Amino acid sequence: MKRGKRFRIAWFLPLLLLAGLACFSCASLPRAPEEARVVILHFNDVHGKIDNFAKVAARIDAERRGGADVLLLCAGDNFTGNPIIDQYQPPGEPMLELLNRLGVDLLTPGNHEFDFGLENLKRFAARVRFPIVSANIHPQPGSEIPNMTPSRLLTTRSGVRVAVFGLIQIEPGNGLPSTHPDRVRGLNFSEPLKKALEMKPLRRGADVLLALSHMGFEDDVKLAKSMPELDAIIGGHSHTRVDPAETVNGVLVAQAGSDLRYLGRVELLVRGGRVVEKKGGLIDVKELKDEDPEVKAMIERFNDNPAFSRVIVTASFAITGKDALGCLMTDAMRAAHGLDVAFQNEGGIRLRRLNEDITIKDVYTLDPFGNEVIEIAMNAGEMRSLIRDSFLKGNEIDLQVSGLSYTVRTDGELRIQGIDLRGPDGAALAEDRDFRVGLSSYVASSYEFKHRDPGRSLAATTAEALIRFLEGKPDLSIYRGIRRAFQDPPGRNDRY
Amino acid sequence: MNIKVNGKMIEIFSGARVADVLRKYSMISWKQVQNGTKMVCDGHGHEIAHDGELNGGEALCVKIAGKRRAGK
Repeated sequence: MKRGKRFRIAWFLPLLLLAGLACFSCASLPRAPEEARVVILHFNDVHGKIDNFAKVAARIDAERRGGADVLLLCAGDNFTGNPIIDQYQPPGEPMLELLNRLGVDLLTPGNHEFDFGLENLKRFAARVRFPIVSANIHPQPGSEIPNMTPSRLLTTRSGVRVAVFGLIQIEPGNGLPSTHPDRVRGLNFSEPLKKALEMKPLRRGADVLLALSHMGFEDDVKLAKSMPELDAIIGGHSHTRVDPAETVNGVLVAQAGSDLRYLGRVELLVRGGRVVEKKGGLIDVKELKDEDPEVKAMIERFNDNPAFSRVIVTASFAITGKDALGCLMTDAMRAAHGLDVAFQNEGGIRLRRLNEDITIKDVYTLDPFGNEVIEIAMNAGEMRSLIRDSFLKGNEIDLQVSGLSYTVRTDGELRIQGIDLRGPDGAALAEDRDFRVGLSSYVASSYEFKHRDPGRSLAATTAEALIRFLEGKPDLSIYRGIRRAFQDPPGRNDRY
Repeated sequence: MNIKVNGKMIEIFSGARVADVLRKYSMISWKQVQNGTKMVCDGHGHEIAHDGELNGGEALCVKIAGKRRAGK
């Protein structure tokens, strides 16, 4: 038996040398083992929810100490979703340090990796201690993302070669990931499912072929159906809890929910250069007991973010009442996105008073829901339809507004007789044109109103718009006693 | 974009999340999902988070929340 093994090695040696010449990264690799068990731990869509990292780190270390071939993969969207972390300076720093500490082996960017702008992502990519893969992000000259290639060939401790390529979702309308177009200027994107098929040759140089995807589960299933050469797809984007991992067309499709509530675990048995068994499921992080004390200390440090108490601007008086605060919030939405008109429902204004020193924390207390700004093209009639629905919710003024003022005329039974719209100059609003109107995602999705344009998310929250607006040091004196929404005759709860 | 919820087609702004689609589908269902009596699944029956991002053409279902299988 020993003689036979030596013979096989002697026979394969020239081939291995040739392969080494053809592929530099393979030259120093150990020979692929006859049989090995590869454990792929994975997470996705953490969105700045860092509190579970101490438990996850302890579990990862335990898996590594257990002697298995362990790879740790991140399927994107580390940023945006936790204001304390989102406001850190420089942006993304807590996630960067935590991912480095965990020893991530590979990451594919999600659409929210662009939320702090391309330059910030480039800084992030330059400082992470692991490679980044995306096959369908194509930087233009000068916009290259450091450390990012379409694919990587990883080699496990026992010598199993794992080829991984990355993919990011794009929207059918503009061909860009779901983020503000300004944030991806300098990058081109190709259709991910088509691009994936170009990755088939990776199969030849690897024992395992994986896609690390930020396309969403639905598209991951489509990919599995079109590319049976894959052993597994490690996914993200749709925040889907796939437990156990699903097998589609022979391809294992996995995704670990969101917010680090779960750690995904895929186990592959590799024999003779191919995967012969595979399974996957989720580890519920709340069931884990052990915590990594060093990571726990990092989390406590990041959660005590001094930037959260930063004073953005100091007003000469406290801004009080829903009219004034609503006018401020809608002015911010309008200014941040160059809109003609903006509306905000009163239920989304969660403070009665902003003190003179306005901090980041104040903004997130005033506007805590993470609603995004939705742009919809609307004419005067459609805006009346929106105001009508809002008024009927409680037979009183509900929507605060910027870019116009309005009066709801009612009879004695509070039946609406008409809605008058006036532009900023006090003249009746033009009836024959469309306006670029901004609504919070809550209003856009829960109010019933006529609109021909379905609208689009501007991929930024209303709170972020307010921070940007206040950082511009606007004249806040206009918010003393301001009002733009009226009821005639005044209602029983009228504040004037 | 269009998303199907329990077989009903919902037209909503592009970039909408699961919560947005549910609110447009039915505020009652949204409140039931929020208080945990109902859950949202994708077209394959997998549970999906309220802030999950969607692509046009996907299908969701709202159903009575069952007991989860224990994690490993």
